[in-house]
Amino acid sequence: MSVVALSDSVADELRSILGSDYVLTNKSSLYNRARVPAPFPVHRWNEHIADIVVLPETAEQVSEIVKLANTHKIPVVPRAGGTGLADGAVPMTGGILVDIKRMNKILDIDLVDRTVTVQPGINMLKLNEELRRYGVIYPDDPASYPCSLVGGRIGTGGWSLIGARYGHTRDLVISMQVCLPTGELIEVGDGGGRKIRKSSTGFQLKQLFMGHQGSLGITTEATLELVSRPEAEFAAFFGYPDYETAYSSTGALAKSGLASLAGVVLFDEWKVDYLRRDDEAYIPQPPELRCVVAVAAYGSLAETKPASQVIMAIGKETGGNYLGDEVSQGDWAARHDRYATPLHGRTPEGQVVPMSWHCEDAAITYSALPMVREEWHAIAKRYIDDYGVFDDWGMFAYTNGAHKPWADYLVEIDIGIWEQRLDDTVWDAWVQCKREITEVSLKYGGSITACHGSTREGDAEFVPREMGGGFDVMKKIKRVLDPNNIMNPGKNRLDEAYED
Amino acid sequence: MFGFRLQTEQPPEPRPVADGVVMRLDDVYEIDPSKMQIVRQQNMPVSDSLRIVDSRWEHLAWMHDHWADSVLSAEEQEDSDE
Amino acid sequence: MTDVRGSGERTATNDGLQTNGHGPEGITEEFVAEWRDSAYGCFSSGHKFCREVCPVMQVTRNENHTPTAFHANIVAMEKGHLSVEDVADDYIHCVQCGACELRCPNTLFTGDFYRHRTRTVDVVKAMRALAVDSGVEQPNWKRWVEATMQASNEPVVDGVSQETVRDWAEDLDIPTGGDTILFVDCEAAFYRTSVARASALVLRQAGVEFGLMQEQWCCGGPAAEMGYIEHARTLAEHNLADWRAIGAARIITLDPHDYISFTVDYPSYFGDDYDIEIVHITELIAELLHEGKLTLTQPVDRIVTYHDACRLNKRKGIYKSPREILRAIPSLTFKDVDHVTQWSYCSGAGGGMRIERPEIAEEIARRRMEKAAELGIDTLVSACVWSERPLSERGAEQDPAIEVRDLMELVADAAGLDYGGVQR
Repeated sequence: MSVVALSDSVADELRSILGSDYVLTNKSSLYNRARVPAPFPVHRWNEHIADIVVLPETAEQVSEIVKLANTHKIPVVPRAGGTGLADGAVPMTGGILVDIKRMNKILDIDLVDRTVTVQPGINMLKLNEELRRYGVIYPDDPASYPCSLVGGRIGTGGWSLIGARYGHTRDLVISMQVCLPTGELIEVGDGGGRKIRKSSTGFQLKQLFMGHQGSLGITTEATLELVSRPEAEFAAFFGYPDYETAYSSTGALAKSGLASLAGVVLFDEWKVDYLRRDDEAYIPQPPELRCVVAVAAYGSLAETKPASQVIMAIGKETGGNYLGDEVSQGDWAARHDRYATPLHGRTPEGQVVPMSWHCEDAAITYSALPMVREEWHAIAKRYIDDYGVFDDWGMFAYTNGAHKPWADYLVEIDIGIWEQRLDDTVWDAWVQCKREITEVSLKYGGSITACHGSTREGDAEFVPREMGGGFDVMKKIKRVLDPNNIMNPGKNRLDEAYED
Repeated sequence: MFGFRLQTEQPPEPRPVADGVVMRLDDVYEIDPSKMQIVRQQNMPVSDSLRIVDSRWEHLAWMHDHWADSVLSAEEQEDSDE
Repeated sequence: MTDVRGSGERTATNDGLQTNGHGPEGITEEFVAEWRDSAYGCFSSGHKFCREVCPVMQVTRNENHTPTAFHANIVAMEKGHLSVEDVADDYIHCVQCGACELRCPNTLFTGDFYRHRTRTVDVVKAMRALAVDSGVEQPNWKRWVEATMQASNEPVVDGVSQETVRDWAEDLDIPTGGDTILFVDCEAAFYRTSVARASALVLRQAGVEFGLMQEQWCCGGPAAEMGYIEHARTLAEHNLADWRAIGAARIITLDPHDYISFTVDYPSYFGDDYDIEIVHITELIAELLHEGKLTLTQPVDRIVTYHDACRLNKRKGIYKSPREILRAIPSLTFKDVDHVTQWSYCSGAGGGMRIERPEIAEEIARRRMEKAAELGIDTLVSACVWSERPLSERGAEQDPAIEVRDLMELVADAAGLDYGGVQR
């Protein structure tokens, strides 16, 4: 609930900025802008609603809203698609929820300098449907590709399935217009040119405004990369009799040096077991198949065709059994909407129950993958055995470095939570489970989160430890840019910046 | 037969095909109904199941086409190598 | 098949249900108990793959109008945070096209496996019914349904009545009764009669024997969509009784909305006794072409694209037969847009949207027409007579104007038939 009660006069001021159709105070509007897909304390829903919802259409309106919030010291919570996997868009202390979905226009398409400028409320799939006629594509491809919005991708510092080839959100955004926490609209990029990709002018401010989870401002416009539409796509899925073979095959594929390599994904034994529950590609696979590695390449035919042959050779040489075109192509195409469906959930007795999906992500080096896998599964097992409302849906390791398939990995363990059984005890247990998982990531020199964000209980406690001296720098920057702590307070422990 | 008749919309009885998995309609895997006691299954006419299966494959084909002009086949390349 | 109010599910447990006394005693509690598992199936996933395919969301961009909100509201009602009065407005904003529930991964990827899919259309209908039963009525829907019950047909023009429901066929000598009945919905019977006449003459040319009902009432679909279930049943019971009285075994629908009413709603009202075969006209015509019982010889010199009717494509998976028919029409230049892309298209005409939120319906139709106009066509062909009025209005605004024709009209043209009727 709100820390600062919103007066009628503030609501009226908002109406004069936006028109009363776009200022919402009814309960349904508030309750439906509380959660994101990440597990939600539904038993404490009313602690996470805003006081008022506004639906701006222009950057100028966003600026006026934020200035008003500063004047009255009211929290602002920016919300794009509400499809994130940390709690960036979840109100923690009420306030004004700024829902930017109406800001979904394409402002400029430049085929000569290869940029597209958009408002933050546009979805990448819808954008690419419009771009197709020009033979170009904006290749930011998360598991939420059909539903996440450009503004949210920037706010969360999103990861793309094909980032090893094309880069992730922060590499694909060339420049942006940002509304600062004090309401000024500024442009940030690599230097100052909207369409310049590499500059040494001034500080590199663009990256500061990526992945801040809405705590340093609101993106109101973004200029994005346009790449040539791929002539060819190649995907191959290999099966392995054990983890060690799959793991070394993953390394070999990732280090193959192929320029068109888009991603390598390692599915561990628990993941394959989970897929056998209900996935038509995995149900008929023989029991000897314990792990899977998926590889994809995109680009011109001239490069991708020979690359596909190298991939097949490496896969086989390193002990992989090719699972066939139908599985490879079908499963790869399904990766663009790979948020887990609730009925994957099973009670310890094997009954189907709808579970909320918690995808605990971390960035881990190749050398640490096997140990992280063992330790995370051991943690999950304890909580499953103790509480009976969790489920282990296995782990993935995905190539993580932008344009660098040989580098580190996004590692995820998918935990199911029977949300209808959530109460304070179960919630606290789950937060504790997250803490244990996070400790393992840090133990092996990894990062708490590769892409979802560290805003939540279970992650946020560790941000100072991971960032070290960097956390002080974060607090200073936050304090300077947001003197009244109105921009998405309560996230990432940044409230500590204001403890004098 | 392309019309709708309620009498032909009842799915056949399930037969086990894998651990926890059954089949009623050709090539359509389903959960063993004994595992759906907490969340009960819905009445799903045959035509509805088939619509979902067809839509899934059409959607996946659409996704391939959305991302690239062509999809390379490892099997075809192997065949042409032989 | 179960009662239309049911989700088709029977839950084994109501653990955690908290009663709150909101709404008339008993009704809300019963409702949330029934829809609880559907609600959590969406709420616990929260993925929102539905949002960008929704024709309403594309226009309003208001998260209250998402299928996510439609399901989350039920969880919120269970927890005592919201009442039916708080949420009724949200559910006005749905055309019941079915894009969301099909696109939802819980349907598309695992619905067939678990025999458990997302059922947003049913959720919207059930919530609208709860609102009506709780005394929260939308004024224009209320008027529309009352007028329908008065005249036994929808007030698609002034002065609809049972006396004039067959006037579209007056010189066609179509018998009453028989094994096969052509059901002509209210929009085609009273407004765009060219569709009804074209359909009848094409069937006759192909050698299909058919008759009409004694008393054709509205199918009841719109009343059900707006939440007036008892009225919908009254209309349905009358129609079924008429079919039985005239010995009908098979009903041909020319409008996808009727196809849905007869294959989804009627089984839920009548259960296992419902033994009537329902055939949609596009499936029948495609079959007749394939069998050589109908040949199309007259050139139709148009550049067309096809509008996939939501209730055929998204809700029933019928998208091949209309395309086969178009490809059989001589001289036609057919610029197709695939049926998956069209999951996010709509004319805005369904779910009572034109009646209660006409400005939203109009914008949905405008956007659909814009997409067609980009293709450089002169004609937009639809297989849904309800879509043709809103799309025609928008087509007239294009420069040059784009004509909207019904598929059966073009088939009749290609068959050399002079069908007449009013074409607008």
